[in-house]
Amino acid sequence: MPDHAHLRRATAWMRRSADVDATRSSAALDDTSGHALLGLEGADDDFGPGSTALEPGRLYRRVSGTDDHARPVSDEELAGLGDPMAVEFFRVGTFPTTVQELLSNLPATAAASRKVYLVSEAGQIPPGAIGERDMRFAITAAVGGSQVDLLISAQAGGDPKQGFLQVAAWDPGEKVFNFYARFESSWVWAGNSWHALEPDSRGKGCFDSHVNGSVVMKELRIPWINWQSERATIRLAEDDPLRHDPLFQQVTGAQRLELTVRSLITRWTAARLTAITANGVVNHPDRLLRHLFTSTTINLASTDRQSSNITADSPDLTLPTGFWLNQDVLFDDLRLSTQAAPPRAPATRYLAGLSRFGFHLEEKHSGFSQPGDTFFAFVVPEAAHEDNEVVRQAVRTGLISAKFAACVLMVDFPNPVCSPARSHLMQYVPTMPTKTVKLCDKVAKAILDAVRAKDLPADSPEGRFAACWQEPDDAWRTVFGQRVDAYLRAVTQQIQTASGFDDYVRLAEFRRRQFRLMKLNEFELTLPVTNISSSAPPLAMREDATVAELS
Amino acid sequence: MPTLDAYAPPGNLDDLDDFGRKAWNTFISNTVDEAIQGPDPQQVLNDSPRLQFYNLTRTNTDTDVRHAPIKWTAFPRVIKITSISDLQRWQRADASRDVQDEYCEWSVIRDGAGKITQVTFTSEGPEYWEILAQTNPGKVLELYQKFISPDARKEDLFSPSGRYEPRNKWNNSTSHGAMHLIQPNNTLGAEIELAAAATIRRVINGQELTTEQELIACSKYGAPERNSDPHIGAGVNALARQKADISLADPVGLYFDDLSTDGWETPDGSDPKSYWTYLRGDSEHRVRAVYEVPPDKGFGVGDITIGGRTIEFGAQIADFITIRLTGIACRFGDSTVPPQIACKEFSAVDMREESFNAAAFSSSGRFLDPRPTLSYRSSRVS
Repeated sequence: MPDHAHLRRATAWMRRSADVDATRSSAALDDTSGHALLGLEGADDDFGPGSTALEPGRLYRRVSGTDDHARPVSDEELAGLGDPMAVEFFRVGTFPTTVQELLSNLPATAAASRKVYLVSEAGQIPPGAIGERDMRFAITAAVGGSQVDLLISAQAGGDPKQGFLQVAAWDPGEKVFNFYARFESSWVWAGNSWHALEPDSRGKGCFDSHVNGSVVMKELRIPWINWQSERATIRLAEDDPLRHDPLFQQVTGAQRLELTVRSLITRWTAARLTAITANGVVNHPDRLLRHLFTSTTINLASTDRQSSNITADSPDLTLPTGFWLNQDVLFDDLRLSTQAAPPRAPATRYLAGLSRFGFHLEEKHSGFSQPGDTFFAFVVPEAAHEDNEVVRQAVRTGLISAKFAACVLMVDFPNPVCSPARSHLMQYVPTMPTKTVKLCDKVAKAILDAVRAKDLPADSPEGRFAACWQEPDDAWRTVFGQRVDAYLRAVTQQIQTASGFDDYVRLAEFRRRQFRLMKLNEFELTLPVTNISSSAPPLAMREDATVAELS
Repeated sequence: MPTLDAYAPPGNLDDLDDFGRKAWNTFISNTVDEAIQGPDPQQVLNDSPRLQFYNLTRTNTDTDVRHAPIKWTAFPRVIKITSISDLQRWQRADASRDVQDEYCEWSVIRDGAGKITQVTFTSEGPEYWEILAQTNPGKVLELYQKFISPDARKEDLFSPSGRYEPRNKWNNSTSHGAMHLIQPNNTLGAEIELAAAATIRRVINGQELTTEQELIACSKYGAPERNSDPHIGAGVNALARQKADISLADPVGLYFDDLSTDGWETPDGSDPKSYWTYLRGDSEHRVRAVYEVPPDKGFGVGDITIGGRTIEFGAQIADFITIRLTGIACRFGDSTVPPQIACKEFSAVDMREESFNAAAFSSSGRFLDPRPTLSYRSSRVS
């Protein structure tokens, strides 16, 4: 059986520099190791110059990018941490060294609320075909009330004292998540949600995956790729000792975790927006509006069909809607009028694409390789729920208008993630404190002024925004809805053709390439590998549903 | 554990009289026996018998028994994957009971302004109600008047000849009440057949099938588009692969497992879960639930938010409901039943026009194969 004890790559952020450098040189992807729920790690860190070995039974502070090295948390600082981890453990001098010890010391009410989930990118690869499978438990509990406020990520199997153990815990007083990791017999506080947004610490340490200070479940939507769920059961050898682990025996489907993670993202987003608008002024409008104009992070979506089970006779595949557009914001939040149905692709086109583009799974560090797609077919990045939630709440609270949000998205709606055209408009977002009531108008005016002053063409991002902005308030939902419907009809036609489908495969691979550049890309087996060159020109979807090279 | 004396009614409900309870036991026991036997092997290949499935009233359960709860989401997946957005799927799921096919159906009551005041959910199979109607019709009327409307009349529920009409005016819509399941696939008979068929292990080309989708594609024991069928099948088959004998726990039924209220908020900060009330079934086997805020609270269901969005559809609540059945398994490692080495197949048949008649079409218009064992498997009690 594989040794679960020492191969957890997610602990890289705790390593000394030399280890990290060695890791980087040995495997390109190992320097962005992490995990799905908590992602506390980031290999750009160690404990810093001058750091010494951590004493057992202490809580240290090390906010990456802010603190040069780990130092003990003072009593005053500890008193300021009001989350369940601090209250139930650190304040009373308890420093659990295993997940079992942590769970057994929680109040009985928390035990009753406990849910255990299981995730592994290699979870559908036959046992024995690959060595280390990087199984992780994600565990949630409600300690301080009826809503989840404690999230634990831990290695599944192996020696629990050696495996990683990380926690995100909600502080109801400060209204933030605090992020912790156990290191041997010590614990390190790695920062709170606000640190994710501060330039010094943004994207560093645990915030390489907790990009916006919330909890993370990349594969948030059905079929919850890589997670054990009502759509897929993770495969274990009959003699895998994990089967006898009491936590494994409590594993429930990730469909439930989706609900929890969505609610926690909503909770932090609400706290954040309340705080940053408390005095009627947004100090950093760019930090707010980047959620609308850019992709601060992404989720992964796929069909919910098992790739290896698809044959030429199989029914058409419904490709993930998030590949075509940001349906959550456009339809559910902004309520564009639509009669569209999700585009469906013939199974034969999908199968031909697998062969033509040489789809396979590959893990360089272990030498594992297997022909074909990921377990669920056609994995692609889609707009992140974290970004969408900020937009939704900003619209709901009147911070920005629905029309403004719609106009920004309609600038390049066929490219729901990493749109250069939308990102281009970030230059018009103020970086200085701005009154909330003037925020939208200020940005819109800046864009319209630029169109006039520079005589920008109608198909420039500015020109497209200006055209949308001219639509009457009582008509834009219908007008935009008609454009979206026409686009989806065109997609439905294009996807029937060999060339059209192949173009979408290339576009999907280009978007996956962008994901691979993110620190969120933690495991090689998350995505398939193809024979499309990594230096192939960048691609974009056009509103006529054709794919074009980005100029 | 010795053999059962008799199968109990779903949820251990006490509506049936002695005769009714005997009829219920006979129905479940016979259905289990038929499921063990499986289809005629001359007509359906590689799908019978199902010797790892057993009848609790005929075979004992050994001491190594394990209970295996199998849970799935109540919102219909077919609607989910064919809708472009949440808004669209909620509208579609709330529009018709015929699309609520995850063994959970619901009906919504709104106030004059269109705001939701109550959503009632049921997981009660139609068979129970047919037996109840045949053995104690007065009780049926009493229950409709209690749970649906005091205005319900006997003639609303029964045909002039006295036959119970499951799709009566108080149980055929998403707005006038939901007494029990009526979606054609939502039957206990279907559940039992699925569980039995899923005990067949499949080794194809030397490789044992294990995943939800490859098993249902090969064994053809349900609709692959549903949340429930592939998941139930995979859960049962996982037990079968441990060479155990398998059955459905008594009382056989489909039960509410839980309502999660993660991210729900009420206007007054009260616990949103406190408005979820089970109305029928014992504490371990809930078959009817209602989500409703007491009038004195000053707000209604439509004022509660989920993830910041007000509840506009009953389907939004269904997203948070899990349905459960419980399999039991024992004699682990003892089964000597060999796996099938081919997938389920239908033998060739002469599909002559004269083979069809009016009875070959169900009331819902579904095609019936002229071969009886291949026909839509009605769970109607005859």
